[in-house]
Amino acid sequence: MTYDSKGNEFKLDMLKELGNIGAGHATTALSKLLGNKKLTLVVPEAVIVGMQESMRLCGGPESLVGATYIRVSGGLCGHMALLLPYESVQSLLGYLLGAAPQDLSDMELSTLQEVGNIVVTSYLNALADMTHTELYPSVPAVAVDMAAAVWSSILAGAEVADYITIVQTAFQTDAEIIDGTIAFIPDEEDLSKLLDALGMGEL
Amino acid sequence: MKEVFVNIGEIQVLKQRGRLVAVGLGSCVGLILYDALAKVGGMAHVFLPTNKRGGANEHPGKFADTAILAMVEQMTSLGAQKRRLTAKMAGGSQLFSYGAPFMDVGRQNVEALQRELQAAGIPLAGSDVLGSRGRKLIFDVATGQVLVFVIGEDPVEL
Repeated sequence: MTYDSKGNEFKLDMLKELGNIGAGHATTALSKLLGNKKLTLVVPEAVIVGMQESMRLCGGPESLVGATYIRVSGGLCGHMALLLPYESVQSLLGYLLGAAPQDLSDMELSTLQEVGNIVVTSYLNALADMTHTELYPSVPAVAVDMAAAVWSSILAGAEVADYITIVQTAFQTDAEIIDGTIAFIPDEEDLSKLLDALGMGEL
Repeated sequence: MKEVFVNIGEIQVLKQRGRLVAVGLGSCVGLILYDALAKVGGMAHVFLPTNKRGGANEHPGKFADTAILAMVEQMTSLGAQKRRLTAKMAGGSQLFSYGAPFMDVGRQNVEALQRELQAAGIPLAGSDVLGSRGRKLIFDVATGQVLVFVIGEDPVEL
């Protein structure tokens, strides 16, 4: 595969649009969880990047993040993650559980897991509708640690090659400090299937 | 002091002075080889046990089964002797809770590196591996000191 063709650019535009719609559904679900707080989508992106460059998408390498990871199987295999800076994790849990926690116990972690689950499956539902495929999410896994350690563990689990296609959408709220990123890494082998499903395979 | 960051899949070697640093070790393992006499040190930021996808491998440091040989070559060209090398490593954790069987990569990386070190005849002098926390690894080539950092805890010397 080459990464600089015109066709490729077009594919990335298409993926970006998919990401925008998927993330639109995902943030609507999150907004409902937060009592209909307004969430703004910023900078939808679809990029093909080297592993090191992809690290920049998850913020400062040593900053603390909360992440939910879901493996996607079915018609389009891939990997999805909801990444939240730790301050956002605290705001979110504070809102949902009544008080912003100092440390994360099992209760807080499983709440974070459920939030990630709702957000990511909303994204997947939109993606499944658009592509007319069946998509099955795994049980969500959750981690809170250094951003680079979390992100690289996801990439290792995905066994990505040197270049990775990532569809990512950042979002933020106006009132509270809740921002974050939804990242989708389609398996390279399935990427052409996805584009076929959209009638774009013959580029 | 010269500080060299060792990114995922990279191998970096230094002679006499400077620090080698690997940030954000989750399932990845930071592998250190050191010739204390020649003061030649190297670090690899290993990502996966082996290159399952096949094809050309431009980054030997990325895989446990290619990192050691490549690092030894770079170090001997700086005056290190293979028979004097000792190894230390940190990382290979499983950060994610709840299910997800893929999360065993960390353990696989650690076990693969242990096998490869044994095959190469390089003794493992210290390690801080597995567990559920992300790590940062700093190796001072001048003194041979190796420090492992975890968020919210005091550094541990290997």
